[in-house]
Amino acid sequence: MVGTIIAALVGIFLAVPVFAVDGAKLLDQVDRNLSPESYESYRKIINVEPDGRKKEFTYYTVKKGREKVAGLFIAPASEKGRTTLRLGDNMWLYIPNVGKPVRITSLQSVVGGVFNNSDILSLDYAVEYNVEKVEEQGKEYLLHLKAKTRTVAYDRLRMWVMKDRSLPSRIECLTEAGMLVKTLHFKDIKDFGGGIVRPAVLETDSPLYKGYKSVMIFAKITKRDFRDEIFTLTFMPKMESLR
Amino acid sequence: MGTTVLRGCMIAALCVCRSVTDILSVVTKVFLYSGLGRNDKPGRVVEESDGRFDIVTVCLFFMVLCHVPILASPSFAEEYTFDVSEVEKKPYHIGGYIEFYPILFGLDKNSAMYKLNFYDRNMAGTTEQYNGNLQVDASLEKGISRAYMKTFTSYTDSWQTQTTKTHIFEGYLSVKPSSSFIVDAGKKTMNWGKGYAWNPAAFLDRPKDPNDPELSREGFIVGSIDYTRSFTGGALKTFSFTPVLVPVYSGVNDDLGEVDHVNLASKFYFLFQDTDIDVMFLTGGSRTTRYGMDFSRNITTNLEVHGEFSLINGYEQTYTDTAGTVSKRSYTAKNYLVGLRYLTKSDTTYIVEYYRNGTGYSTTEMRDFYSFTDRAYERYITTGSTDLLARALNLNQQGAYGRINPAVNYLYIRVMQKDPFDILYYTPAVTLIANIDDKSFSLTPEITYTGITNLELRLRTGIIAGTRGSEYGEKQNDYRIDFRARYYF
Repeated sequence: MVGTIIAALVGIFLAVPVFAVDGAKLLDQVDRNLSPESYESYRKIINVEPDGRKKEFTYYTVKKGREKVAGLFIAPASEKGRTTLRLGDNMWLYIPNVGKPVRITSLQSVVGGVFNNSDILSLDYAVEYNVEKVEEQGKEYLLHLKAKTRTVAYDRLRMWVMKDRSLPSRIECLTEAGMLVKTLHFKDIKDFGGGIVRPAVLETDSPLYKGYKSVMIFAKITKRDFRDEIFTLTFMPKMESLR
Repeated sequence: MGTTVLRGCMIAALCVCRSVTDILSVVTKVFLYSGLGRNDKPGRVVEESDGRFDIVTVCLFFMVLCHVPILASPSFAEEYTFDVSEVEKKPYHIGGYIEFYPILFGLDKNSAMYKLNFYDRNMAGTTEQYNGNLQVDASLEKGISRAYMKTFTSYTDSWQTQTTKTHIFEGYLSVKPSSSFIVDAGKKTMNWGKGYAWNPAAFLDRPKDPNDPELSREGFIVGSIDYTRSFTGGALKTFSFTPVLVPVYSGVNDDLGEVDHVNLASKFYFLFQDTDIDVMFLTGGSRTTRYGMDFSRNITTNLEVHGEFSLINGYEQTYTDTAGTVSKRSYTAKNYLVGLRYLTKSDTTYIVEYYRNGTGYSTTEMRDFYSFTDRAYERYITTGSTDLLARALNLNQQGAYGRINPAVNYLYIRVMQKDPFDILYYTPAVTLIANIDDKSFSLTPEITYTGITNLELRLRTGIIAGTRGSEYGEKQNDYRIDFRARYYF
């Protein structure tokens, strides 16, 4: 009898071992492993066309807390001085020639290519998504995420998370109807110093842009604190002074 | 004329293609979508080649020049690399753009504006204008201070003039003791308001051209402070206060209004409940006191709405009757604008704005002005006297009739399609600016290509239409074709 109970318990644990995994905690851990709460970083965004031609952008980003992100384009010359700001669901773009910030939406793209604004000005995943379900798939967990509100760019995400590092390896972005919009591939895990070990390359492709892909390469991620007033429309034209 | 436009579009598209496959693809697609493939009179496609397309030839020549290094560009197969030394910051910056910008105007010889501007000339059906522009912006940063300057040099070669002019658009010193307190002094643009095509609450800015609303404009000499506070946890997330002092003296901002006044303007900004809200005013004597407000908000992930309102106390309007009797009246003018920006799933962007210009003229008043201009022209033809024409010209140039949009009710619609036919960096667009009251309009199709780093090519045409006596029907041109090759450095 005791043997039967033990066997049943073992069977239950083997059948659904991920019930032991707290999805929300795992998602928080993924967020913290991808970046500190407040940091500055440099990245290069590359749009690659089917024949291999490329267009590159160099982008400086600062983030504070869970929902304040701002960015400054450093190159090429045609984009230099453009800044972007995100406060929760609110996004703005400042173009030096236009001389004032204008609101943009998360589904637009300030750089063209496959990345849209919500990819470039991404917040912590836990800010925008709830974990609906966690599955175990070999060396990875599969997190099924559902957007908390309708203002989030993708209604659902499927996130594959490496068990050993609590870092994502792949994320599929889906519409409410379950249509695949794009896939994000996390590659080349690198030590950025200060305890930050994360993928240095984020590659994306989309069935909507067959043959095209966009790549984001992180060169530097450094913990840094900022005042809240950095993340305001007034400061957007002055972002260069932060570097 | 449609085939002319199409031909221009094809030339532009062809010239920026960088492979035989691209060229074939674009030719096929333009051909099929244009309906030319079904044209059973192929001769019509070329019948307008009457020698007026020198400008197109120049565009072609320039674009082919641009094309040459691209043909030789290598295939990119290397691994992605990013060296941090690429982004090292320097204390100074020099950048800007240089552009080649020829324009072909198709003249409407029966229009009031043609008669006013060309009364003593016998022009051909078209006239060309070649422009070369250089915009340079430079900055120098040291500690909490930053000096900034933007200059604009333009070369124009037309039937009327061959000139080179340089303007200092901006030049100011900025001191930033903290991220929440910034002091600026010098010539700068304020760019108030949320409208895309018009900004009735931009009290300290020169008028925007709705045909090219993103162009830089010259600023005014001001002293300003930006004070900003952020808040967490409440409905109010950000508050900013921007007081501005604007001196108006002879030689200093004297085109703003009455001289010998120091004017005060202020803007209060609130990010409240995820909505941008600005409240502003201008007072001080150079212009009558005016108040304004604007808002902007994202409703969904692909829809933004905005609005703007201003009230001008004691606005003085000069107007004429058909005989050229000039009168003045003073009233409180109310201007407002509502608009939206909507992005569809297929990456089509719609910008729609309705603008009520409370300082504008009614359809009847506009018609009276055009009738007076016609009378002045008839008088010139019959008697050789230019006195009435001079009065009409003065009303047009110095008065409000010559403003970019002098009437009351306008509609602006711009539709842009990103990456059509799955080809990145091509953005065709069409813009409609309509005078709602007299049903005249300008329609501007265009195509922009940005696939080459730091180079932007734009080909567009403007079709200007309306009945006699209507605003766009009386414009000087029936159509225009322009090409802009802009290189950023």
